[in-house]
Amino acid sequence: MSAAINIIDKVPFFGGMFRVESNELNPVNAWPSLIAMTSFIWFAIAAILGISMPAIQFLDLGSNWYYQNITLHGAAMAFPFAFQLMAAMSLHRAGACLGKRADDIFVSLFYIFMNVGALLLTVAVLLGFHVTYTVMFPLPVVGVMTGQWSMFTLVLGFTGIALVLTSMIFIYPIKILRMSFFERTDSTLQVAERSMKDPGMIGMVMGVLVLLVAGTPLMLVAGSLLLHLYGIFPAAWIGWAANPIVFEFVFYIFAHNLMEAMAIMIIGAVYSTLPLCTADGSRKLYSDKIAILALWILLITSVTSFFHHFFTMYPALPSTFAYHGNIMSFATGIGGALTIFTILATIWKHGIIPTPALFLILGGFVMYILDGVSAIIISNVAWNFKLHGTMWAGGHAMVVLIAISALWMGVLYYHYPLMTNRTIDDSTARSCIKYFFISYIGLFYTFLAAGAAGMPRRNGAWESDWYIFGVFMLIFGVMLLYAFVLYFLSLRRSKALDY
Amino acid sequence: MIEFLYTNAWGAFIVLLMFQIPFLIVFFHIVNKKAFTDSAPSKTKPEKYSAYRYGWTVLVLVAFVVVNGASIKYMPTVVEANAATDKNVKDVEVTAVSWAFQFSENEFNVGETVRFKAKSTDTVHSFALHHPDGHLLFTMMLIPGAGSESALVHTFTEPGEYTVRCLEYCGIAHHAMKNTFTVN
Ligand code: HEM
Ligand SMILES: [Cu+2]
Repeated sequence: MSAAINIIDKVPFFGGMFRVESNELNPVNAWPSLIAMTSFIWFAIAAILGISMPAIQFLDLGSNWYYQNITLHGAAMAFPFAFQLMAAMSLHRAGACLGKRADDIFVSLFYIFMNVGALLLTVAVLLGFHVTYTVMFPLPVVGVMTGQWSMFTLVLGFTGIALVLTSMIFIYPIKILRMSFFERTDSTLQVAERSMKDPGMIGMVMGVLVLLVAGTPLMLVAGSLLLHLYGIFPAAWIGWAANPIVFEFVFYIFAHNLMEAMAIMIIGAVYSTLPLCTADGSRKLYSDKIAILALWILLITSVTSFFHHFFTMYPALPSTFAYHGNIMSFATGIGGALTIFTILATIWKHGIIPTPALFLILGGFVMYILDGVSAIIISNVAWNFKLHGTMWAGGHAMVVLIAISALWMGVLYYHYPLMTNRTIDDSTARSCIKYFFISYIGLFYTFLAAGAAGMPRRNGAWESDWYIFGVFMLIFGVMLLYAFVLYFLSLRRSKALDY
Repeated sequence: MIEFLYTNAWGAFIVLLMFQIPFLIVFFHIVNKKAFTDSAPSKTKPEKYSAYRYGWTVLVLVAFVVVNGASIKYMPTVVEANAATDKNVKDVEVTAVSWAFQFSENEFNVGETVRFKAKSTDTVHSFALHHPDGHLLFTMMLIPGAGSESALVHTFTEPGEYTVRCLEYCGIAHHAMKNTFTVN
């Protein structure tokens, strides 16, 4: 029996969501189930930390708690939750569509690096390493010099980050590329055959290539710094990497493209799942060509739109780059517009069967588009100077992850029977979707309105003018947690399939 | 009206809704119809799809060009570039250091145009100028070693107490990094 199945069986509550029988499909469903289960455990912890943030402000518990919890919340939601959930589902899909095993050394290394790395970072943060998930280099080093946290926490935190980044930038992309192009096909595993011409497969390959290409420079810079911290590289070797401008640029080239890669992958997954839910059984998109064109536009335009993170450094960032970033950010919107068209035209042409899986996917897609609008607005140079550093920016970062996660959770609903031989509980799933969508809308507009009102993000001492936004964050945050609890229950209450 | 849209963050919020609300209406209408009232395949002719496709793409392109084109005049960077040779602009040096701002001057008059030239000496900070009513006039990111200091001009049109805050997280006393000055 697979080690993954053993672990799932031993985990209380969450294990019950992903119990997998021993069968011939284990190579494509056991590890993905374990990885998905683990991502939801991280979610549960991070959600409580999220809700704690407004609570800390109202109860006046102090800014240190705020900075600790925002660091843990942001890091856990982005990496071991959202990214890990995506990895779980895409490994399962790649396995079942292409007939490749998703239980080899790459998969277990991904799992270990991601989760051990996230745990080390968590310990460092609990010991005082409060740098937020964007690190804000050179803050980690300045913090040691000014006595905000210890050298030990810096080394521990960076080690954790390096493990997480290795899993995302190297191990996972290499595994997906191997499955797509190299490994031997095992036809017993290929239960949902697809070719590499399928928009879903193309989106997946584009996504992992972006991770690999945009992430490698960051790995070089962060790796050099880490080797210096370990005492292996002398200071003279790493001066270039310790330059804040170098670090910030390679960081955002990666971080921006990470979000875009996750978006391209999930749009690919929507393109491959939506046709399975058409009412006329045609299993076709309105047009594969336009779908693929949209993916290409998203890919090409997103690469250089990262300049929008630096508009407000004017004139250190020359205006040309600012305009370029502005235009490219809106150009991603053209990819978005074609995606909207393809999805609506498919629905119009073929009709749809209203299942919870499809509705969570469509709801997630709406969330993604609404968030995309907030993203392009803040990528306009004129508006950026009024919104950068406010809750608008923080809200967009958070909400794009919520949208992407919702989409993967819909895809998970769809493929759950194949993964576990059980069907989800329909009525629980329907109420989950209702609460999910309402709380999403609530959180989204609360953050954007707070940003428009000038509320600073990542601020450990909210001023009373801005408390009102905190009240709504608390209300809708609790509601979102409730929606997730319903999601968990819809899986726990699943029933065995009988053939 | 256009001026308000681009010079106040609530203007951005309004434009946001102008994009989002039509999308929501069309999306929910189509999904509702094809999931619940009439999920049979539609008889719409292929030519009609492609007409809609072109129409929609052109609409989006035009909207994007208009929204961005109209914004150029209001970009703080353009305003600053236009003021480059203006002798009446008062230069103010700002140094940001964890966790304080130092100004070379901190009293201004209504009608005065001030160029804030800011730099950081330790880690990433920002110089964010908040209007007395709380909304953000502009923010400048300050990365140490950026090569040149960040600089923008602002013409004060209303008296009151303005607050400068750091909006880039810079450590455990980040929230305390603020300062005020008066405009008479
Ligand atoms: C469960 C309800 C949730 C609540 C109440 C909540 C609340 C918050 C709050 C108060 C902040 C801090 C804003 C600031 O001071 O800048 C924040 C940031 C963030 N949240 Fe959430 N959140 C929730 C769920 C989520 C989810 C589901 C995700 C991702 C899937 C997420 C990802 C993030 C990220 C990435 C940040 C940015 C952290 C940073 O700026 O350093 N959150 N959230
Ligand atoms: Cu600061």
